[in-house]
Formats: sequence, C-alpha cells, structure tokens
Amino acid sequence: MNTNSKKTGLFRSCLLATVAMVLGACATTAPPPELRDPADPWEPYNRNMYAFNRAIDKAVLIPVATGYEAVVPDPVEQGVTNFLNNIQSVPTILNLLLQGRPGDAGRAFERLFVNTIFGIGGIFDIATDGNIPYYEEDFGQTLAIWGWEDSRYFILPFLGPSTIRDSVGRPFETAGPIPLGQYGSFFWHDLTQERPALIGVDLIQRRANLLPFENQIEDAFDEYLFVRDAWLQRRNFQITGESDTPDYDSFLEEDY
Amino acid sequence: MKRAIQMIFLIVFNGLICGSLYAQNPQEIVRMTTQELFAAVDEDRQNLERNPAQLKQLTYNILLPKIDVTYSGRLVLGRNGRSLEPEQIERFSDRMSDMLIDRYADALLEFQTRDQIEILPMAPDGTDRMTKVRTRVRLNNGARTPVDYVFRNTEQGWKIFDVIVEGISYVTTFRNQIGEEVRAHGFEGMMQRLDDNMLVVDVTED
Repeated sequence: MNTNSKKTGLFRSCLLATVAMVLGACATTAPPPELRDPADPWEPYNRNMYAFNRAIDKAVLIPVATGYEAVVPDPVEQGVTNFLNNIQSVPTILNLLLQGRPGDAGRAFERLFVNTIFGIGGIFDIATDGNIPYYEEDFGQTLAIWGWEDSRYFILPFLGPSTIRDSVGRPFETAGPIPLGQYGSFFWHDLTQERPALIGVDLIQRRANLLPFENQIEDAFDEYLFVRDAWLQRRNFQITGESDTPDYDSFLEEDY
Repeated sequence: MKRAIQMIFLIVFNGLICGSLYAQNPQEIVRMTTQELFAAVDEDRQNLERNPAQLKQLTYNILLPKIDVTYSGRLVLGRNGRSLEPEQIERFSDRMSDMLIDRYADALLEFQTRDQIEILPMAPDGTDRMTKVRTRVRLNNGARTPVDYVFRNTEQGWKIFDVIVEGISYVTTFRNQIGEEVRAHGFEGMMQRLDDNMLVVDVTED
C-alpha cells in the first residue's frame, strides 16, 4: 500500500515534468518544410517527442543509471554488458543469415558458443580476447540491406531515435532471443521467467554506458540536431560497415 | 664511367623523392603523430593526469601543425561563411579546432598502450587531392571503435580536416549545429554562444 502510493507520487512528478517539458518544447520552432533536412521531414513532431523522452530520461533514467554506476563495481558492470551482448548474438546470427552472410553468421555463432560455454553464460567475453570479431545486426539493418536504404527519422515514444524502417524492424528484434525461449530452446528458457527484470537491467546498463556522452549532448547548441545527426550517421555506418565520406565540395558550394 | 655516375645520381635522386614522399604520406602522418602523442603522455602521465591544462597544451602543440584549421572551419560554416571577413573565419576556425583538440585530449588519457591503435590499408576512394586514413581504436572493454582521419593535400603537404568516429563526422555534425545558430542569431551571436559554452566547460573542470 505504502509503496504503491510512493509509486504514484513518483509517477505524478514525472508526468508533471514531462508535460512541462513538452509544453516548453512547443515554443521552439522547427524550420519551415522547405528548409528541413530531407531525412527529417517530421521535425516538429520529432522535436516534441525528443523533449518528452529527454524529460523522462532526465527525471528517471539518468538518476537511476548514475546511481547504478556508483554502486555497482566496474567488473560487475562489464559482466552485465558482456552478458547482454552475448544474448544479442542470437538475433545477430539470424540477421546475418537473412543478409546472406553465412560466413559472418558462423563466426558470430562461434562467438556465442565460446562465450556461453567458456565465458560462463556470457559473463566473460573470451571471444574478444581470442580475436573473434563482434557483430551487431538487427532487423532494421537487414531491411536496409534488402533495399530499404533511406528512411525518414522518427523518434519513438520512450524508445528514442529511430527511422520508419527501423521501427518496422523493431518488433522482430527488441524482444531479441526471449521469445525463442518459449519454443523450448535450452538456455533461454530461464530468461523467459525473468523477462521484465532482464529488460530493466538491459535498459539501465545501456543508459549507464551512454553517460559519458552526456557532456557533449549538454554542450551542443541544439541537442535535438546533435543527437539526430550523430544517430543517423552512426546508423548509416552500422548498415554499410564503412564511414561515409561526406561530400565536402558541396559543403562549400551549395545554396539552399 | 659517365653511365655509372648517372646511375648513382638516379638512385640517390630517386631515394630522395621516395623518402620525402614517404614522410608526407597520410598513413605515416597518423602513425607518427599517435606515436609522438603516446610517447609524450607516457613520459609524464602522472603529472598530466593532474594537470588537464598542460595536457591540452601538449596535445595542441603536437596536433595543430597537422590540421588544416581554416579549411575545416570553412566547411562547417559553408554558405554562412561567404559574407564573412577572413578575420571572422579565422576566429571561428581557431575556436573550433580548440574544441576538437580539447575533446581529443580528454580521451587521450584513457589509452594505456599504443598497440591499441591499428591503421588499416588505405581506402580505395582516395585521390591525390583528398584521402581517408582508417584506424581502429581498441577500447579497454574490447570493443574496436573505427576512427577515420580525412586528409587534404595542401601546399604544406597532407593535412587533416575532418575526423569521423563510428561514422559520425565532426564537420557534418557541427555544420548543422552552427548553421541553425547563425540563421537564428547571426555570426557574432553564434560566436558569443560558442565562447559562453567554453566558459561553462572551463568552470566545471576546475
């Protein structure tokens, strides 16, 4: 009873903060449609959703992640990160196969096998020490390989930056290997029972890993643009595996 | 006899040309610069960890001669730079390279050994005017982060004008930021904000 009322109190203050932020964000104006980045035609919506997510981030996620970081010793954090990355290998292998990269899928399987067996369920990343490469492929990347290359920027409520393509891909992979457990796969079975806890730890650990970037985000002239541009460029890099060389000549010449 | 002298002359001359080309090769610049930086940090690590200002100065001295600061600044300003005085462009470019070098210096102490940086073979899309040196930096958690340096052939040899980390180009990212700010507050307004930001950064570090 008592914890319940505490929860509602926290929820209410989050909601208040959020509403205040969203209302505040409405005041900031996105450029008119003809001046917008072609990758981001829905900028006004995205800006509001960014402000909404960021308010929750600041009110809840950052404090929790900072506390977690302070309390949990570094080796344990490393173990948790390794464990989560290892689970992520399962959808990565499937997507490598879907992308027609059986060789890479084989190496990713080798990584999963080595870390699960010798790394005690993935807590230790033996594979990296053994120079087995690390892959991270999700269904959004597979869709891009299949030909859906350009997709507009789209911020999802609570989940953050994405594109239409990656949002479509999401239901196929966010749950990751966890649904596989329901089909009786040996190792994942126990995880199914712990799913909410696992997702919570995953979220907090991922946020904690991003804390070092907080300074850069805070320093940015326009947080929204900074996060958008960085996210889109990085996403493109994940898909092609090569950094795009920007068209520098056009930077000097273009008139828009 | 004459032929032999000609031969010797040719060999020596060739050696000279190749030698100087070798020294100016962008990959070689990246290799030598990182070696120089790591050696300087290793030599004085304890002191530098306590003195961020000194570390920044050291990084600045080593990196600045390798960067085409003005070109980088022009790229970031783009169309907004056209109506500006050369003095304004210089001022902006200097400020920008300061920020870049500051960030670099912050990250520098994180690396313990110099074999954490691997320089990949040259990208095939290079020209004699512009090229990209691709490196992989191995972080302490085992992940290998791609860091690419984009070079341009200037009258003073090859110089860096952009850094691309995990696909994120410094020039592209700053360009949109600065463009918006100049559109909203004009060049001097943008400079003012840049200066204010720097002040905030300095205060938190003290």
